[in-house]
Amino acid sequence: MTAEYKKAVPKPTLNPEISAPFWAGTKKHELWIQYDKRANRFFYPPAEIGPGSLTPIEDLVWTKVSGKGRIHSYTSIYQPAMPAFAEEAPYVHALIELDEGTRMVGNIVDMTDDEVRNNTLEINQRVEAVFVDITPEWTIVKWRRIDD
Amino acid sequence: MSFRGEAAIIGIGELPTQRTYLGKSMPGLLGDAARLAIHDAHINVGDVDGIITEGGITYPAFVAEYLGLSVRFATGSSMMGASGATGVALASMAVMNGLANYVLVVIAQDRNPALGGGGEGFPGHAGEFDFPYGPAAGANNGYGQIYQRHMELYGTTQEQLAHVAANQRFNALENPNAVFKGQPITHQDVLDSRYVNYPLRLLEVVMPCGGAAAVIVTSAERAAASLNKPAYVLGGGTGLDDFGALQKPEITVSPVARSAPIALNMSGYSPRDMQFAQFYDCYTILESMCLEDAGLVPKGEIGPFFESTDTTYKGEFPINTDGGQLSAGQPGLAGGFRHVVEAARQIMGRAGPRQIERNDLGMVNG
Repeated sequence: MTAEYKKAVPKPTLNPEISAPFWAGTKKHELWIQYDKRANRFFYPPAEIGPGSLTPIEDLVWTKVSGKGRIHSYTSIYQPAMPAFAEEAPYVHALIELDEGTRMVGNIVDMTDDEVRNNTLEINQRVEAVFVDITPEWTIVKWRRIDD
Repeated sequence: MSFRGEAAIIGIGELPTQRTYLGKSMPGLLGDAARLAIHDAHINVGDVDGIITEGGITYPAFVAEYLGLSVRFATGSSMMGASGATGVALASMAVMNGLANYVLVVIAQDRNPALGGGGEGFPGHAGEFDFPYGPAAGANNGYGQIYQRHMELYGTTQEQLAHVAANQRFNALENPNAVFKGQPITHQDVLDSRYVNYPLRLLEVVMPCGGAAAVIVTSAERAAASLNKPAYVLGGGTGLDDFGALQKPEITVSPVARSAPIALNMSGYSPRDMQFAQFYDCYTILESMCLEDAGLVPKGEIGPFFESTDTTYKGEFPINTDGGQLSAGQPGLAGGFRHVVEAARQIMGRAGPRQIERNDLGMVNG
């Protein structure tokens, strides 16, 4: 699988130390995000400062979350920015609102080509995280539809 | 007007100077310094409504997003070593003129060898948290999601927004500077064009181009003596998204919701007084939500508006009379500036075959 994976893998260029707990979590097939103790809210993606509160890093707590949420919105990609994704098009790139209150982006798995082309996915559809081991090093988070 | 004590520094923040800041990045350090200064000034984070950074490496809009600041004024001050001092001057101008009340001027350098050593580059989150999911290029992806949500919330249809592209193409036919001059398309052509990313079709997406735009601004006194009919600037306002799509409360609301009221209030006119509009249009959906947020069309009613209103230069409410970026093309950052040029051209009465009749008062969103 390693040699074959030609699509983009995560490139932690902003600050690898800060995002490392997120990727360590996905590797264990768990979703860990930061909780801002001063603002009493979860946020994503990982940061050194609580967004909106400027809470310092000592009060940002890595927390395992449910991995459940709902579709906030989505777009179906027919023309990907990166050619390596073209063979999969069209596919869904969605904004997911976690039950804990922050949003993530990701693809929706287990959708047929017809389902994507007919735009059957609905806003507010319940979803849960699935963990995809794309290389021995990297596990990314995608989402699948669930009933509640 | 000069500063003369009309602006002041009311809080300071400084981190220890070190050879390197291991484990820290530029945005992290900017946040630490910002927190210190805000605390020192005895104000709240929410009071900060302007930000100035060294704009070349630390893009002010990205820094504001990273820090979660809800600012309406953000700019860079790229003056090498004098960037901070210049930033204070720019901030003074902003607060004296009502663009912001509290401007954060903040500059940092991480010197973290793990991040390249010099802090060059400010790559953002996309490479780590978005690219693995195969987004569409550039802003296409986000505006596809915004479009989808606008359809869900307000019942907006692709048939309705296709009028935006079709009407503007009509306007471009007579514009010698438009990349699509003389190339007509129909409403059905827009609906028949392929998806780039649903719901965005090819003819609803801007075409990247080369080009340039310029204006000369002068005082009212000098303008009165000009041989041209002047286009007077009556009001102006700025706005910026509160947060990125992951945290902003509602993705279908644009920063125009903040900038337009400021500009209108300064001008003394209301949206109802406007006779035409030149509005930023990288996508049909972006232009649509901005027209709503400016108060020219009630929120959520842009679909029916385009169904029932002729927005060509011959119509009752002309919009993007030169074709806009969708049909004239987008010459990079000059793309938005072109809207200013066309508004001035219409007011000066120099738009030739596409000259509108009611040309006294218009609204521009760049």
